[in-house]
Amino acid sequence: MKNPYEVLEIKEGASEEEIKAAYKRLVRKYHPDQYVNNPLSDLAEEKLKEINEAYDFLMKNKGNYNRSQGSNNSNNQQYNSNSSNIYTQVRMNIERGNINQADEILESITNRGAEWNYLKGIICLRRGWYDMAYQYLQVAVNLEPYNSEYRTAWSNLASRAQAYRNVGTSRGYRNDTSLCEVCQCLICSDCLCECLGGDLISCL
Amino acid sequence: MFGYVTPYKSELKVREYDIFKAYYCGLCKTLGKEFNTLVRLGLNYDLTFLALLLSSIEESRETITREGCIVNPIKKKPIVNTNRSLVYTSNISIVLIYYKLLDDWKDDKSVKSLVCTIPFIMPLKKANNVYNKKVTVIKEFLTKLAELEKSKCSRVDEAADTFGKLMEAISVPDYIEDSRTERVLRWIGYNLGRWIYILDAFNDLEEDIKNKNYNPIILQYGYNKNESIDSFKSRVIAPIEFSLTMSLEAIAKSCELLDIRKNRSIIENIVYMGTRYKMESILNKRECRKNEKSI
Repeated sequence: MKNPYEVLEIKEGASEEEIKAAYKRLVRKYHPDQYVNNPLSDLAEEKLKEINEAYDFLMKNKGNYNRSQGSNNSNNQQYNSNSSNIYTQVRMNIERGNINQADEILESITNRGAEWNYLKGIICLRRGWYDMAYQYLQVAVNLEPYNSEYRTAWSNLASRAQAYRNVGTSRGYRNDTSLCEVCQCLICSDCLCECLGGDLISCL
Repeated sequence: MFGYVTPYKSELKVREYDIFKAYYCGLCKTLGKEFNTLVRLGLNYDLTFLALLLSSIEESRETITREGCIVNPIKKKPIVNTNRSLVYTSNISIVLIYYKLLDDWKDDKSVKSLVCTIPFIMPLKKANNVYNKKVTVIKEFLTKLAELEKSKCSRVDEAADTFGKLMEAISVPDYIEDSRTERVLRWIGYNLGRWIYILDAFNDLEEDIKNKNYNPIILQYGYNKNESIDSFKSRVIAPIEFSLTMSLEAIAKSCELLDIRKNRSIIENIVYMGTRYKMESILNKRECRKNEKSI
């Protein structure tokens, strides 16, 4: 086993609070939701397992075993019980990573309903074709608005894009060039007015 | 290659900025040492990022020395000493630039480009001797890319796929043995290539519409002759920004899975902020220019 402190990215001898905070942060980072339909999702799962083990180890050694759940809802792929055989085949291929084969089977189907569009969307996602993935998933959701599997996959995309942006924003990312320019423009206009004897903004 | 992959400077520590620069200069020096001085002009930021990323997963620390350089021989700058990731990226640079120049010559009959290939001929031979497999793959995907343009592929995702695969191939040097690391690097490379390709296509919209060049964005979203370029851009910006953001998300999430041993903060700065900044400023360029004029 790796050094649990290293796994949790904390200093040795960190307090219980620090361990818990680090654990929570990392679980959020590697949560299966963040890697849905990502070809590297198994690696994220491994990482999460490592984190859980490290956390368990540290907590046990403090005689305080209390682990919040976060990882165990990863493999809850729900299959439509009434889905026809051929779609099950496609799903199995996707799960095994045989994306091209899954796509071939899918392309041979001429009757293209919500499930077809959903699976096509998932295949696009696994390939990194996000534009088409979004379109296919949207069609699936429009055709069957009450299917939670389709809706979850579709809204997961938007929430992941947002999660990505949030990391940058929390680290100080600002793209307010336009705001800067507005200020510059105002200050310049004020200077010009003052040169001519007037005043645009009295406090400047 | 295009130089879209740069750090977001205002959130970079001075020390981090120095290290990034040291990699940039290190790649330049390595190009000079491995090949000749003229090829150093082809240096770019995208491959600097690759060198930084590949070095970050090495166990040994980079050694940085202060040296003068041709551009400014008196002022000494920190420079990363040649290591295997720099040697690898410098070789890949040579191959990419050579074929890019050759491509420009074929497309536009630009004599300048043809003349520029001359200093690359010997280096290309050298790179081909050591990295023969990679050179073959690069050639293969570049041919495919040209075919794609000829057949006027009208799906952005599909058009970007080829360049993604090219970058995927060059992101993994042969010396990487760990299969996990290889998978992660491949996925980073694929998404990076895709992102660069689409962003570049958007950046070229105006020119391509004017010159009637191939551009998958124009075809997929059906540019109509009566609409202004601005209104076309504002029509396509949302889906393209989404698709690009998802690529960056995939890169960032992959970096989290990489066993990064040093310079993590710089890499995260680039994947979470630098690339996003570049993307947002290119997508919103038109508006910016308008504001400047109004001042």
